[in-house]
Amino acid sequence: MPGKKGKHREGAGQKKKSDNTVSRRTVLKMGAAAGAVSVLAPNIITSRKALASIMQGGPVPPPLVQCVSGAASPSHTPFVDDLPVPFPAIDHPLQPKPTKAANQGAGEWDRDDHQRWTQFTPAKITSELEARPGLHRFHSNFGESYIWGFNGVYPGPMILNKYGKSTIVRFRNSLPPNGDNTFGHPEITIHLHNGHHGSESDGFAGDFFPSGFWKDNLYPNVYAGIDAFGGNPGGDGVGDPREKMGTFWYHDHRAEKTLNNNVMGLNGMFIVYDSTDPGHEHPSNGSLRLPGLYGVTDIPLILTQKRFCALDAQGRNEMVNAAGGDKFIVNGKIQPKMTVRNRKYRFRVLSTGPTTAQWDLRLIGPTGNVETIVVIATDANFLEHPVPVDASPANRLNSNSIVGETIQVEGALRVNVAERYDFIIDFGNFPVNSKLYLTEATSQNVNPGNVNPPGLPPGLNIGNVVMRFDVVQRENWFPVDTPAIPATLCTYPPICTPDTTFQWNFTRDPAGSNPRFFRINNRVFDADLPQHCVIKGTCEEWLINNNTPNADGPTNWAHPVHIHFEEFRILKRFAIINGLFQEVTVTPLSRGRKDVTKVEPGEAALIRMNFRDYIGKYLIHCHNMGHEDAFMMVAWHIVPDAAAKAACDALIVQGNKEFEAKLRNEEVA
Amino acid sequence: MDRRSMLTRVFKPHPSSQGVSKYTNAVLRTQDNKEVRFYDDLIKGKQCVINLMYAECHGACPLVTTVLKRTYRDLKDRMGKDLFFYSISVKPQDDTPAALKHYAQMRTADLPGWYFLTGDPYDIETIRYRLFNMGHIGVDIDFAMHSGTFRIINDATNYWGHAQSFASQKNIMKRIAWADPWKSYAEWTVESRARQVLINQDIKKYGYRRNV
Repeated sequence: MPGKKGKHREGAGQKKKSDNTVSRRTVLKMGAAAGAVSVLAPNIITSRKALASIMQGGPVPPPLVQCVSGAASPSHTPFVDDLPVPFPAIDHPLQPKPTKAANQGAGEWDRDDHQRWTQFTPAKITSELEARPGLHRFHSNFGESYIWGFNGVYPGPMILNKYGKSTIVRFRNSLPPNGDNTFGHPEITIHLHNGHHGSESDGFAGDFFPSGFWKDNLYPNVYAGIDAFGGNPGGDGVGDPREKMGTFWYHDHRAEKTLNNNVMGLNGMFIVYDSTDPGHEHPSNGSLRLPGLYGVTDIPLILTQKRFCALDAQGRNEMVNAAGGDKFIVNGKIQPKMTVRNRKYRFRVLSTGPTTAQWDLRLIGPTGNVETIVVIATDANFLEHPVPVDASPANRLNSNSIVGETIQVEGALRVNVAERYDFIIDFGNFPVNSKLYLTEATSQNVNPGNVNPPGLPPGLNIGNVVMRFDVVQRENWFPVDTPAIPATLCTYPPICTPDTTFQWNFTRDPAGSNPRFFRINNRVFDADLPQHCVIKGTCEEWLINNNTPNADGPTNWAHPVHIHFEEFRILKRFAIINGLFQEVTVTPLSRGRKDVTKVEPGEAALIRMNFRDYIGKYLIHCHNMGHEDAFMMVAWHIVPDAAAKAACDALIVQGNKEFEAKLRNEEVA
Repeated sequence: MDRRSMLTRVFKPHPSSQGVSKYTNAVLRTQDNKEVRFYDDLIKGKQCVINLMYAECHGACPLVTTVLKRTYRDLKDRMGKDLFFYSISVKPQDDTPAALKHYAQMRTADLPGWYFLTGDPYDIETIRYRLFNMGHIGVDIDFAMHSGTFRIINDATNYWGHAQSFASQKNIMKRIAWADPWKSYAEWTVESRARQVLINQDIKKYGYRRNV
């Protein structure tokens, strides 16, 4: 244990070991700690006691000073720490019991009644995530850093769920009511990205709640299309099973402070299994038999960048209170290593931003070549067919590191803010004891001058390395390799026929003397006014347009656009090539179902999306959290019927009237 | 120049406020030609709304002033006590305190708790950059940028937010409220329960929480 008490230390669950092997005894122990969930990770909870101390909570001394250094972070030694895997949240009965209406007598924050309450309760799984301060060691060379995390850890606990089993997560806000000495703001609203559930459980940006209160989010874990499809005899619950999703993540969505609170550490991952992707590797009915033992052969890679201040008088290396950084962090560790057996592994990569950082990930083999990664899912959705990405002539066009028609980084998988990609690496293709490197196109500060350690493949700079894989011979007790990746992973439902169309213009700088900022359809985020109203059960075609005229030239910025609620399909993409706005190829990785799509300057994407089963307020926004906090977010509503749409449209008209009155310099009433 | 006489209340900054190093402590002049220190007298421990303008501006500035006037009316009870408006001239070479006084009077905006400020161009440029920079040179070198944005600061809670003059009045009020001083659990409870009543009315009428 790195600390004495083991409280608030992510290291509490991390027994330092000389290598990454798991003893059979540890495996058994962990199975006991986490109930029926498969948690065989080498680096997660090793005892009930450690878990209990993490769950307990307690005061964490705040930082001495607000850390605002612009200098390079302190040096670190590469590949010291083993890649940690976030431990699963432990479900337990909630006290007081969840209720349909907000239980304000017991401290629940105001909200809508839960929709479809009788259908999806009592929830099969209930768990509680408490946002509170903690201490986290980002690297063994570093002191601890003050963070805010769910249950005091970063990244937040992994929630492992199953389709057909509804869950209630109670989010409790126990952040310091005065924000301590930090960059964060202790008011939160938690969005499950990209869950299909009621608006009251969606973490709408304006519905944040302060320290001392809590809120229940009901996640029914159903496929979209409940009304149309009803029950599914397959045992995976209700809805259209073709709408299956897998890799979600949850994060704070507080208006104006999303960036701050995510930098502080308020995010985590959320996986939902079903019979095609059951969370184990045994042959079972409908299973695709992908590598699927969470923490063993199914590994999340939660990426972010941070900058650190020098060691302070408390013996801490505090995080710099700003977006971005000069250290690459995977699952809360700087440049870690992971011991892998010579078999297939599934990785679920997520970029938590918070800002423009895009990751151009490549797998570099022992000889310095770009090796193949096989992408099986984009955002939370399986691709119909696996897509291999590398720099070879056959696969180079599969890369999504593309602007217009130009590939920017050969053979790279580009992960924008909030995007998730599941990919499979077959380490059986490499000799035992070889080392592979996951790299990024830009460089971090490892040490002054980024001096390479011995043994790196030719042409590789240590600054570009995100993490290292050490291939070892599979031991007898380690799960045997899974069969070849199936050629077909799923079948998509047909793209819906739109009832109507709408256009979202992303602008930074509208012409004329109007004030200038990040806006959508010329508007800024308003928690109370929608900009678009959709009738439940319809399909719409939206143009996400980042090719809007500017007063001062083509100075649009790139925006990773995220739409809440349901997954969309990209029909067409447009870009400016040779000065001409024209249709361009939709890359294979953008042909799947998505919930985030990046529009580069001058680009546009035509998408179609369903709006089924639920009503309420939802959002479209740029997921660059800096832009999002600087207004680039707009609310749209799903309304139950035509009468409600008329009332909703009246709100828009009222808002427009006020906007125009202001333009005429009239005082509004 | 008794610049302290303007303020009688004690305002306590948040321990993590970067204070002078972030906001500068430049000496500015109000429309009444009083010397004030930007951080010590205007920001320290206070909640304030800051915008950029200049007296001869015929584009957005008068509109923004109108919006601020409307907001002032809604928040009259707090103005000058724990909430302040600062309109900073970005053409200080033209805008003397007298010119700003004229501008304020002409628009009936010469009100307690609302200061029109001018000063050394270098200081103003620094403040503009510190408060409104977007970390992008194309945006940041143009002094006309952000003229319609209000910077909302509460130094007592170290809050840093913004509102936009062309947003709805409700939105502006909300964003200022988001920067209010820390509230107690009891205050939050009262607020939350009152809102739940409105939410329930909305649900009854429209089926969902519409604009509460």
